[in-house]
Amino acid sequence: MKHRIIFITLSIIMLLCTCITSFADDTVNITFWHGYNEDNGEADLLINTLIPQFEAEHPNIKVTAVSVPYDSFLTKLIAAISAGSAPDLFRSDIIWVPQLAEQGVLLSLDENMPDFEEYKEAVFEGPLSTNYWKGHYYGLPLDTNTKVWLSNSAMYEKAGVPVPTAMTELEETCKAIKASDPNAYLFSADGFYAWNLLPFIWSFGGGITDEEVTTADGYINSPQTVAAYEFIMKLYDEGCISPLIMGDGVDNYSGFAGGLYADISDGPWAYSILNGQFPDFNFEASLFPEGEGGSIQVIGGEDINIIAQTQHKEEALEFMRFLVSKDYQISMMSVGQMPVRNDLADSEEVKNHPYFGIFLEQIATSKARTAHPNWAQIDSVITDAGQLIARKEMSAQQALDDAAAKISELIK
Amino acid sequence: MKQLKEKKFPYLFILPGFLFLFVWLILPMLSALNISLRNWNIMPNMPKPWAGLTNYSQILSDSLFWLSLKNTFVYALVTVIGQMILGLLVALLIDNLIFGKVFFRAVYYLPVVTSWVVVSLLFKFLFNSSPSGFINYLLCNVFHIIDQPVSWLTEANTSFAAIDTLGIWKGIGFAMIIFLAALQSIPQDLYESAEIDGGGTIALFRYITLPALVPTIATVSVMLLIGAFQTYVPVAMITKGGPLHRTEMVVSYIYNTAFTNLNFGYSSALSYVFALIVFGLSRLQLRAFGGQKGIAEK
Repeated sequence: MKHRIIFITLSIIMLLCTCITSFADDTVNITFWHGYNEDNGEADLLINTLIPQFEAEHPNIKVTAVSVPYDSFLTKLIAAISAGSAPDLFRSDIIWVPQLAEQGVLLSLDENMPDFEEYKEAVFEGPLSTNYWKGHYYGLPLDTNTKVWLSNSAMYEKAGVPVPTAMTELEETCKAIKASDPNAYLFSADGFYAWNLLPFIWSFGGGITDEEVTTADGYINSPQTVAAYEFIMKLYDEGCISPLIMGDGVDNYSGFAGGLYADISDGPWAYSILNGQFPDFNFEASLFPEGEGGSIQVIGGEDINIIAQTQHKEEALEFMRFLVSKDYQISMMSVGQMPVRNDLADSEEVKNHPYFGIFLEQIATSKARTAHPNWAQIDSVITDAGQLIARKEMSAQQALDDAAAKISELIK
Repeated sequence: MKQLKEKKFPYLFILPGFLFLFVWLILPMLSALNISLRNWNIMPNMPKPWAGLTNYSQILSDSLFWLSLKNTFVYALVTVIGQMILGLLVALLIDNLIFGKVFFRAVYYLPVVTSWVVVSLLFKFLFNSSPSGFINYLLCNVFHIIDQPVSWLTEANTSFAAIDTLGIWKGIGFAMIIFLAALQSIPQDLYESAEIDGGGTIALFRYITLPALVPTIATVSVMLLIGAFQTYVPVAMITKGGPLHRTEMVVSYIYNTAFTNLNFGYSSALSYVFALIVFGLSRLQLRAFGGQKGIAEK
C-alpha cells in the first residue's frame, strides 16, 4: 500500500512537471531539409556553426536540419508531402521548382513575404528566375553554379598543345592528345542528358524550345542543334569522347585524374572531390570552348523554398532570410558554395577565392534549363535522341525532328 | 451458446494478424485503386478530380509499358528457369555430401541475404566496359576468348546478360534451401527398394526424386516468378532502364511514372494492371502443375 502511494505521488509530480514545461516552452520547431554535402564540410558548417548562430539570435525558433541525399531527395520529399509530414522549408534543386509549384506544393513569396521585393533586388536575377512560375515567385536562390572546362595539366603538357578555347579546335587537340597516348580521350561526359549536351547545343547557337516555351519545333531540330549533335557524334566516332557517354565506362573523376580523359566539364564541387580523392593531381580551369553561339554553359544551383502547408510560416520565412543573408552566404563560400547576392559579386571574398573567378565569368554567359513541370520527361527525350543518333539508328535530323514533336506535346 | 463461443475463439487469434494485413496491405491497395481512378495531386488538401477509367485506357497505347512488360517477362523466364535448375543441382550435390553440408548450404545461401544494392554495384563493376572491367579482363587477357572488350552495359542484350546473371546468382540459394528440405523428406526406403530392383542413378532421379519434388517445384516457381516480376534494384543501379528504355522493367517504369513524372494516378493504374497479370499467371502456373498441393496452395 505504501509503495502504491509513493508510486502514484511520483507519477502525479512527473505529469505536473511535463505540463508546466510544455506550457512554459513557446519555442517553435521548424524542419529544414537540405542536401548539403556531408564530406566536404558543408553540412558540418550548417549544423555546428550557422544554425546555432541563428538559434542564438532567435531564441524562440529551433531548427531541425535533416540531411537528405540528393539522389533520393525529390522522392522522399514527395512521399513526405503526400503523407502530410513535409518539412517546413527545403533546399531544392533549381530544376524541381516548376514541377512542385505546378502541384501547389510551394508557398508563393510575393504574396506571403512582406519584404520580398527587398530580397528580390538583393539576389542575382538569373538564379532568382528559377523560382518564377505562372506569375509568382515560389522561393529565393540559395546558391548558384555552372560548369567550366577542366583540363588535366600533365596530359596537355605531354601532348604539347594548349587547352582549346573554341569548338573548332577540339578535333586538332584530340589528335594531339591521342598521338601522345592512343588510349586517352579528349573529353568525357556521363550520358546524353541535357546537363551535358546543352552547353554544346547552346554554344552552337541551337536551343530546345522558344523563349515562351510553347514549341520545340524549329529549336531542337534547328540546323544549329543538329550541327551540335553531329559534332558530338563525330568526336565520339573518332574516339575523342569516352564511351562513358553511352552509359558505361570509367567514371569522370577517376578517368580525369587517372590520365584517361584530358578534359571534363564540371562545377565548383569538383574541386573538393578531386582535391580530396586525388591530392597530387593537377588540373586547370578555363571557359567552355566557344562556338558560333558563344561559350554558353548551364546554370545549376539550389533554391530555398517553403512548403505551402507549413504551420510555421513566419518562422520559416525568418530562417529563409537568414539563409540569404550576407553572413550566411559568406560563410558558405568557405566550403565552395557560390553566393547569390549582388553585393557579394565584387566583394573581396569572391575576388580572393581560389576558383570562383572563372565560374563567375562563365555564369555571365550561362543559361537556365527550360522551366517546365515536365522537364524530367523533356530531358528523357533529349537523352534518347542522343542514344539513337550515337547508335546510328536514326540520323541526327530524323531523331531531333521526332524529339521536337515529343517535346512540343509535353509543353502543350 | 458454448458452441458459438468456441466458434468465435479462432477469430480472436486471427484478428491481430488480420489487422496488420488490413492496415499495411489491404488499405494501401484500396487507396491505390482510388488514386488510379483520379487525376491525383500529391498535396493532401488539393482537389483530386475523378478520371474514371482514363488512366486505364491510356495503358493500351503506352508502348513503354508494353516494352517494359516484355523485358520483365524475358527476365522472369530466364532467371526463374536458371535459378530452379541450378538450385536443384546444388541441392542434389549438397544432399549427397557426407562432410560440410552445413558449410556449403550457408555458402550458397549467402547471396540471398546480401543487399541488392551492394551486389548490383558489384556486378556493375564486374561488367564494366573498360578493358580493366573484371569480366572483360578475364575474357580478353586470361582466357583470350575475345580480342576487344565488350561494352556490356551499353547494349540491351549484353546488359540483360549482366542483370540476368545477377538475378540467377542471387536466387540459387533460395531455391536450393527449399529443394534441400524437400529432398530430405523423401523416404530413403523408396530409393533402397528401387536400387534392389536394379534402378540406376538417372532412373532413381527420374521416377522417385522428380515426382516427389513436383509440389516443391510448383511452390518455388510461383515464388520465384513473383519475385522476378518485382525486380527493380538491379535495373535502377546497373542500367537505369537504358539504353533507350530497353532494359526498363515494369516496376521501374511504375516508380518513375510516380516519382519522376509525378503522375500518381497513371502509375497506380499501371500497378493494378500489372498485379492482375501476375495474379493470372500464378494461377495458370499452379494449374499447370496439375493441382499439386504445394505450400503456395495449402
